[in-house]
Amino acid sequence: MNKPRVAVFDFACCEGCQLQIVNLEEQILDLIGAVNVVEWREAMSEQSHEYDIAIIEGSITRPEDEEKLWLIRSRAKILIALGACATLGGINKLKNNFDLNDVKKCVYGKDASKPHLYTELTKAVDEVVEVDYKIHGCPIEAKEFISIIRSLLIGKKPEIPEYPVCVECKAKGNPCLWEYGQLCLGPIIRAGCNARCPSAGHRCYGCRGYINKPNVEAAKDVIEKYGLSVEDLKSKMVLFGSRQDNTL
Amino acid sequence: MSVKKLSKESLLNWVDEIISTKKKVYGVQKHKDKTDRFEFAPLDSTADLRLDYDVTVLPPKKYFQPPTETLVAFDLKGGYKAACDTEKFIVIGIHPYDMIAINQMDELFQKDNYDSHYMTRRNNATIIACDVATASKDIFASSMKTATVKKGYDILLTDIGNGYVAEAATKKGQLLLDKAKTEKASDADIKARQAVWENNEKNLNKHPLNCQPSEVSELLEKAYNHPVWEEKAKTCFSCGSCNQVCPTCYCFNVHDDMNWDLKSGDRKRTWDGCLLDGFTKVAPDHEFRAKKSDRFRHRLYRKGKYVPSKIGGQIACVGCGRCIGACLPDIANPVKVYNRLLEDTSAVKK
Ligand code: SF4
Ligand code: SF4
Ligand code: SF4
Ligand code: SF4
Ligand code: SF4
Repeated sequence: MNKPRVAVFDFACCEGCQLQIVNLEEQILDLIGAVNVVEWREAMSEQSHEYDIAIIEGSITRPEDEEKLWLIRSRAKILIALGACATLGGINKLKNNFDLNDVKKCVYGKDASKPHLYTELTKAVDEVVEVDYKIHGCPIEAKEFISIIRSLLIGKKPEIPEYPVCVECKAKGNPCLWEYGQLCLGPIIRAGCNARCPSAGHRCYGCRGYINKPNVEAAKDVIEKYGLSVEDLKSKMVLFGSRQDNTL
Repeated sequence: MSVKKLSKESLLNWVDEIISTKKKVYGVQKHKDKTDRFEFAPLDSTADLRLDYDVTVLPPKKYFQPPTETLVAFDLKGGYKAACDTEKFIVIGIHPYDMIAINQMDELFQKDNYDSHYMTRRNNATIIACDVATASKDIFASSMKTATVKKGYDILLTDIGNGYVAEAATKKGQLLLDKAKTEKASDADIKARQAVWENNEKNLNKHPLNCQPSEVSELLEKAYNHPVWEEKAKTCFSCGSCNQVCPTCYCFNVHDDMNWDLKSGDRKRTWDGCLLDGFTKVAPDHEFRAKKSDRFRHRLYRKGKYVPSKIGGQIACVGCGRCIGACLPDIANPVKVYNRLLEDTSAVKK
């Protein structure tokens, strides 16, 4: 088998997800041995226009980014969205909840109208082009990244959990944080992070996006039972839940 | 085998000795993060052991069927090798309802396909069970006839106030108990233990079931199309928490982890749960219990009908109450469903 040519691109993001890959340490050599990395700004200077797998990090906020993404899509056989910015729009999507002009003024002050600072509403990658696989998380889980890449290399469909964070949380023997007054989004958020946050005592704030059929009605019931309000839920969801559709 | 009595002090000394001479000892103790809860964990110090606990977050099944385990290591170039822990271990503090759940698993894992991974661990285990001293908030073991236990353990401890009554049930247990400083249990001690049993058989009952557990199977026979399944499942998250914390849920999913050579890897199994969306998904993406209410019903049928038909009528809910506390929308309580079906004879139709 010829090694697949892989290119990594970043758009609006903190590059924290690429950093997770760079931080694979000894495994980075295995990765580079198994694939042919032809473009990766964070790790090398070469560029290429021919690749089998394109990995996209970051959300899409400018018209010229959309054009670049279309081009990447037309060249790639498989396109992967990497991290919450790419799969959901991520934290960057918070701005979609406000008036765009206010947001620009708030961030850029008197420079807000300069053309190179022009941005539009934030989009997840799949709002612009078709996405074949999503690697969830803010940041991604290095272990999951590895297993997805290995699956693709042997031509197998990667296994991305359909069940919620509670499954992994319970398997670790954690008592539920709801019992301790925390509004944890675990029951409606896709697993795969090994319940990273609840295991450290913090509620899940939803960086891996909703499961396919989140039971929002049940969430309202539960919120009442624990003496919280739906506003509490909304305020917790907004960080990663702004205008979110199916995440698989 | 004889019944012994240990003073509280000699119990502590005995556990000290066990910890210092045996390699792997697990015991009930405060949960490491939330100290108002309990868990089974490696026991490093006798002082941590809490035989007065109410219930643990996870049942001891994790020592017999871990959340994730490697079944075989394979290599596409040359066969495979079965992987299995072979170390002996001791678990201290298993309550009767959890012991009965393990006894049921023992039957099930030896039945049609002998599960060598489960059975190897089971045979490596020495179990020191203990009678319940504090009722948990949701226990209903009295209703399920699981408040006391007569077999499965190697040693059973009962706190009778001024010490423990200890009874070894196996040779392994007897050898271990011989290391303790004991006296022969007096008639009064035996009576005191009997009183603890009788009390537990009556009073570990926060959710009383309005029929005999043996009648549940027949009750379900007539309730397949009852509205309760839809009603309850409306607020179900499909989060599987009720499965994960249940001592009698043993379903697992099998998957392969490839190594970087893309030729060798590990075949692993992880806990699965019948309430999860995707549990019944088979190639090519067909799902035969796609509806939440079907999955919700399946769990209760499994506990009350399917498993009992395999193990001589024993109901596969031991009344530990863990699913009740774990279910955020509070719909998982098996007793509430069974009692509802009992009351609702008019709506019960085939
Ligand atoms: S998903 Fe999070 S870690 Fe990854 S690039 Fe976006 S902000 Fe950074
Ligand atoms: S803490 Fe959160 S993730 Fe864990 S069981 Fe509770 S709701 Fe689920
Ligand atoms: S627990 Fe929730 S917020 Fe934390 S990493 Fe997992 S999905 Fe993201
Ligand atoms: S069904 Fe619930 S109460 Fe019954 S054994 Fe399982 S967790 Fe315990
Ligand atoms: S019954 Fe409760 S615990 Fe079980 S899957 Fe549904 S919501 Fe989760």
